[in-house]
Amino acid sequence: MKISKLKKTLGAFSLEIEHLSLTPGKIYGIIGPNGSGKTTLMKLMAGLLPPDSGSIDWPGLTPRDITMVFKKPYLIHDTVLRNLTYPLTLRGLPPDPATVDHYLTLADLQKYRNAYAPGLSSGEQQKLSLIRAMIFSPKLTFIDETFSNLDMESAARFERLILDRQQKDPATYVICAHQLSHIHRLCDEVLFLSNGRIEAQGTTEDILLHPEHPLLQQYLQFVQMQ
Amino acid sequence: MLDLLDAELLGIITLTLRMTLMSTTISAILGIPLGLWLDRADFTGKRLVVAINRTLMASPPVVVGLVVYLMLMRNGPFGFMGLLFTFEAMVLAQVLLITPIICGIVYTASARNSERIHLFAQTMGANRWQTKILLIRELSNELYFAIVTGFGRAMSEVGAIMIVGGNIRHHTRTMTTSISLLRNRGEIDQAIFLGILLMLIAFAVQLLISLIRRKERRTDENF
Ligand SMILES: Nc1ncnc2c1ncn2[C@@H]1O[C@H](COP(=O)(O)OP(=O)(O)O)[C@@H](O)[C@H]1O
Ligand SMILES: [Mg+2]
Repeated sequence: MKISKLKKTLGAFSLEIEHLSLTPGKIYGIIGPNGSGKTTLMKLMAGLLPPDSGSIDWPGLTPRDITMVFKKPYLIHDTVLRNLTYPLTLRGLPPDPATVDHYLTLADLQKYRNAYAPGLSSGEQQKLSLIRAMIFSPKLTFIDETFSNLDMESAARFERLILDRQQKDPATYVICAHQLSHIHRLCDEVLFLSNGRIEAQGTTEDILLHPEHPLLQQYLQFVQMQ
Repeated sequence: MLDLLDAELLGIITLTLRMTLMSTTISAILGIPLGLWLDRADFTGKRLVVAINRTLMASPPVVVGLVVYLMLMRNGPFGFMGLLFTFEAMVLAQVLLITPIICGIVYTASARNSERIHLFAQTMGANRWQTKILLIRELSNELYFAIVTGFGRAMSEVGAIMIVGGNIRHHTRTMTTSISLLRNRGEIDQAIFLGILLMLIAFAVQLLISLIRRKERRTDENF
């Protein structure tokens, strides 16, 4: 997958990516301060926001292969179960009861399967949106701070699930999180964004443990790694 | 007072309900797609159109009645259709009154939510039709509110239908125009009786609709 000469201006903010290429089957992390353009870049890459100029190529992928989950997920005004199976319904796929149970259990939502989804707590909403994005096995998933309200145990369970799936059936993930422990455990490579520019890029080890760029060092200075 | 519950009164009640149902249905069929379209459409002068819509939402019924009257009167542009002082003329006036109300409420609800819903639909891989269906389902509470508001306005309105319907006995006399007539004649007791009946019917209709509707849920996002 390739991005070149990508430009997007939103009000006073502008994002510019000269060149970026991602390898399918890898997990990427995006880090950077608030307002550095992480969400904007992910939306552009997910095809949810049209760029002002430049190109984004996902060879072999259709919009149906790409999904994105947000920090504040949108939940349908319906039950937890209907939310979970919604992407399957759209594709005319009958939901397999065992799979549904597996995901609900994973997200601790088994007892709420018939509850009104928008009434869940924010952490539960995030978990529901994560399993809803996983149930149809998209080839490319963008996760924008969707772990932010998860308890440690839940977050660890989702991390394990993603890593397990990578073993069997690799997909591409782009994950943005402020808790760098998630990035550290999950990601193969990390991009550091600052003010709409990619200022550093490399393996997770290099970026998090041996930062060279001064802005990156400054950003990491306040981070406590668990 | 019981003598009021005669065939004539039943005719008046039936006519009122028929008129209200028909004008609300037509206004919903016109106003809902218009409101949804107005939110998604992007054209120069959109703000102006929205401002006009807002103004029409509060247009005085007698003015609308007068305009329809001028259109339909014998020497008017549509006088040849012979619609003045008919059921159809009253429905037409009410449609002109209520469509902007339904359109305006739907537009506001859509403007507040449609962006998020469209974005979500895209992340789920919904096609165009699936997205439209989702949007309508997600806005169903607001659409319901718009229709109920239009229905209430149509049921209680008197100024416009008085002018274009003429309050003709056995023909275009509705509950509100009857009340107005009774008051003019000084038959206050009967006016009050009809008024209470009108309120009761309106209440019964609302109860009936809310029984069909699923419960509205409220959520607190801060927990
Ligand atoms: N629709 C918009 N209109 C104007 N400014 C926007 C819009 N969306 C985002 N921005 C601005 O773009 C900058 C980057 O936003 P975002 O990509 O959400 O940053 P991050 O996710 O890294 O916190 C912010 O300063 C934000 O205020
Ligand atoms: Mg963000």
